[in-house]
Amino acid sequence: MQAFERELLTLLPRLRRFARALARDAADADDLVQAALERALKAQSQWAPGTRLDSWMMKIVRNCWIDEGRSRARRGRTFVPEEEGAAVGVDGHKEIEIKAQMHDVDKAMNSLPAEQREAIALVLVEGLAYREAADLLDIPMGTLTSRLTRGRQALVQRLEAA
Amino acid sequence: MMAIDDDLLMAFADGELDALARARVERALAEDPDLRARLEAQQRLRARLAAHYGPIAKEEPPERLRAMLAPKIVPLAPVRAARRPMWHTFTALAASLVLGLAIGRTLTAPGSIGVEDGTLVARGALAEALETQLASAQADGAATRIGVSFAGSDGRLCRTFESAAAAGLACRGEEGWQLIVTAAPSGATQGRYRQAGSGDALVLQAAQEIMAGEPLDAAAERRARDSGWRGADSSR
Repeated sequence: MQAFERELLTLLPRLRRFARALARDAADADDLVQAALERALKAQSQWAPGTRLDSWMMKIVRNCWIDEGRSRARRGRTFVPEEEGAAVGVDGHKEIEIKAQMHDVDKAMNSLPAEQREAIALVLVEGLAYREAADLLDIPMGTLTSRLTRGRQALVQRLEAA
Repeated sequence: MMAIDDDLLMAFADGELDALARARVERALAEDPDLRARLEAQQRLRARLAAHYGPIAKEEPPERLRAMLAPKIVPLAPVRAARRPMWHTFTALAASLVLGLAIGRTLTAPGSIGVEDGTLVARGALAEALETQLASAQADGAATRIGVSFAGSDGRLCRTFESAAAAGLACRGEEGWQLIVTAAPSGATQGRYRQAGSGDALVLQAAQEIMAGEPLDAAAERRARDSGWRGADSSR
């Protein structure tokens, strides 16, 4: 096995955790990791040995998640937030059932806009420093901290109300 | 008293403040119970997220993900569909598993592999192990470990093996052991071998594709060895 694959293998548990914090549920999270690994193996030449493979890889996971969110929206299977009441169509009904079984933390995380969710996942779940998270998301520090703050306020409100 | 906004409080909770700003927040916390309550809510949130997501990083990742990184199976023998139709499915399987070339690495294993008539064959210590070693009686420190032995669908006897350099599947031809597939070893290091490593698992999967009937048990394996690995096709 090459060093690249070996390092990815050691990162796998963390990548799964990160993906779990992004994706809707455990099954989606592992699908996301799989898509990210496929992309990483194809793009291996773009990774400069000696640089942080974990950041590089988390960025790929995050980009795959964004892409998946887009294509999901195109297919019309967008997740319907609870506040908006009844879901649309057959898929919508299934979403509601899935949601009923979800853990409180999952529900609260699913209610966040993507930009807040990824900030929370990087800083509060993965423990990245603000600087690292802002670089990875390619946004200014101030944008990151305001997304973090809004995301956290929303999470605290939901979880403490429950 | 300085007002502490949420951005500042959260940066404090995240350990992102310099000493001066930290001291300022600490002073405010000492004087302001509401601020303390807000900080505690943040700490509860962090604890809750850690309790929910933390265990995921301690789980063994599913095999389908590990398999994407471990195996590098390469079909070594050119397959003649007319002669061995059953092997066709196996070739397709192997091709689908090819993620890169392990062959370069395998060939560096000193003297273990040679080329004969365009196919790769076991030589040296590997050939010796395949020829003589019984899976049921191998030393803990053996450089090559034999996995399963079985009759292939073309009648030849085949064995899976793993060494520090490679895992693989070999079948006994007239002249010796022909290597059917090799894969990167399943994370074996310094004589310690894992049973369910991914490279290993894929070699086993390949073996199952061409296996006719059950793997040989210890007695059958010994008989096969003692008879020089002559397979069911005894016309050879």
